[in-house]
Amino acid sequence: MKEKKHFHAIHITKDKCIGCVRCMTACPTKAIRVKDGKAWIIDERCIDCGECLRFCPYDAVHSHTTSFAALDAFEYKVAIPSTVIYGQFGSATLPNEILSALRRVGFDEVYDPSAICELNTAAVEEYLHEHPRPRPFITSTCPVVVRLIQRRYPGLCPQILPIEPPREIAAKILRTILPKALNLPSEKIGIIHLTPCPAKMVSINSPATLKKSYLDGAISIRDIYPEVLNALRKGQDDALMRHLFPETLFSGNGMGWSLSGGEIRGFKSHRAVAVSGVSDTMRVLDQVESGLLQDIDLLECTVCPDGCVGGPLQVENRFLAKSRILQLVDAAGDRAVVDHKDVSRLYHKNFLSFDHPVIPADALPLDADPARAIAKAQRREKIFKKLPRRDCGVCGAPDCWTLADDVVRGAARLADCPFVKKEKR
Amino acid sequence: MAGSAIFRQEFAVKGGNFAKAGVVACRIKGLLKELGLDTQIVRRAAIASYEAEMNVIMYAWEGRVKLAVSPGKIRITVDDRGPGIPDVNLALTEGYSTATPEMRELGFGAGMGLPNIRKNADTFRIDSKVGRGTHLEITIHTNGQKP
Repeated sequence: MKEKKHFHAIHITKDKCIGCVRCMTACPTKAIRVKDGKAWIIDERCIDCGECLRFCPYDAVHSHTTSFAALDAFEYKVAIPSTVIYGQFGSATLPNEILSALRRVGFDEVYDPSAICELNTAAVEEYLHEHPRPRPFITSTCPVVVRLIQRRYPGLCPQILPIEPPREIAAKILRTILPKALNLPSEKIGIIHLTPCPAKMVSINSPATLKKSYLDGAISIRDIYPEVLNALRKGQDDALMRHLFPETLFSGNGMGWSLSGGEIRGFKSHRAVAVSGVSDTMRVLDQVESGLLQDIDLLECTVCPDGCVGGPLQVENRFLAKSRILQLVDAAGDRAVVDHKDVSRLYHKNFLSFDHPVIPADALPLDADPARAIAKAQRREKIFKKLPRRDCGVCGAPDCWTLADDVVRGAARLADCPFVKKEKR
Repeated sequence: MAGSAIFRQEFAVKGGNFAKAGVVACRIKGLLKELGLDTQIVRRAAIASYEAEMNVIMYAWEGRVKLAVSPGKIRITVDDRGPGIPDVNLALTEGYSTATPEMRELGFGAGMGLPNIRKNADTFRIDSKVGRGTHLEITIHTNGQKP
């Protein structure tokens, strides 16, 4: 079974792109080229990590998240925010105020995700108990890590721990109970994730482990921020009262989920390691592929620096956001809000599992024929030796090695390199 | 023509250079993937070349890793200048290790290096001279799978 053609959340706006090489050199999978003065993305290589979005100084890289207006299609609108949102509005604003501001912005109901995060941690531990091999398992929370593994580390697909991440579990629970409670057909209920991450949209539109996502869309925190800020300002008088009557009980272990290490903080009896940032994640996955880290039960990998709190679509600088969330984690302490017996019951019903395992993406060998692939690899070495190795990007490829690779794949010409041309004249 | 195509690449490994541990194995793995080889084959080659590279880093002064890929076969040879292995059969015993406590602290030296290489290879040959160095040669067939 092969992965079907997938949707991407990241696009380059041609009008704004001036054809500099910043996104191209920042791309960890070398998925960007600059041709005729404009950057473009090679679909098969892009993992939607959003590095290009961070590096573009011209605002030419856009993410396709759900627009606020698209919510009008639903009769009943539900928001499941990422806990990152609690770090966006300074230390005087309590999570309950943010949830209540979201209701005033236009959601009929808003659910705090921290309890479901706690549930996920407990389910993952139960899975590890029942499955002593292979090691290490890798968490599936970061959709970019899943895509990275499908493309670059296909052999590690069976090591992705097959429990859905909290956003999908929360949506699945709500899909189960809300239609009955509201007496509305499921399709009239819009369940929306609020996220700092462009890739969540990809996992919703082309899920890697579900037949269909339980979510209807993802609104970026960046897009919804002004509305929430406005609602918070208008609601200042009520805020005091809300402080005195907290409606939601936040989970201590769930609260820190958006920080690197948050997923494994509540672990009781397993050795888990957290890795964040795209290049560090790739380094560690390389080690796993070489047979290392087998004494580790679980690897929590998130490609954004410091975890989801470093997502490119948040507003607050990530250090302040992180510090605020850590305050909240401290305040919540070890408070558990989920009964482990409930988790166990859902787990054994397979309610929390993937619909199907992660499927490797099509490999991109130099050639389908082994002998010709070898010949191309030989030619690529020869071409590489002719190149100046300055990795300047003027040819439109991120570095000399990638240009040599593009040439043997028929996607570029040696003459694209301005230095090679000069030598020949 | 098709049978004669061989892709060769050579890598230098410096003894004691733990900072670059795994770099050669990683390059080899990347190349094999680009040559379109089966995931399981690549993984076996990655594990074997990682262990071989680490043996040079941990015990030898310097070494060269040579990769040769032809349709149907991967050959990896490692030649090092180093202390050599006095008793090769003993070194091939699972769990036997001469790693120092410092190496073990770093998570190396579990005595699975050579056994692991042999386990992942289809042919395995080792030749060691005490005081001179070690020659290791493995092949992995790329058409047939070894369980």
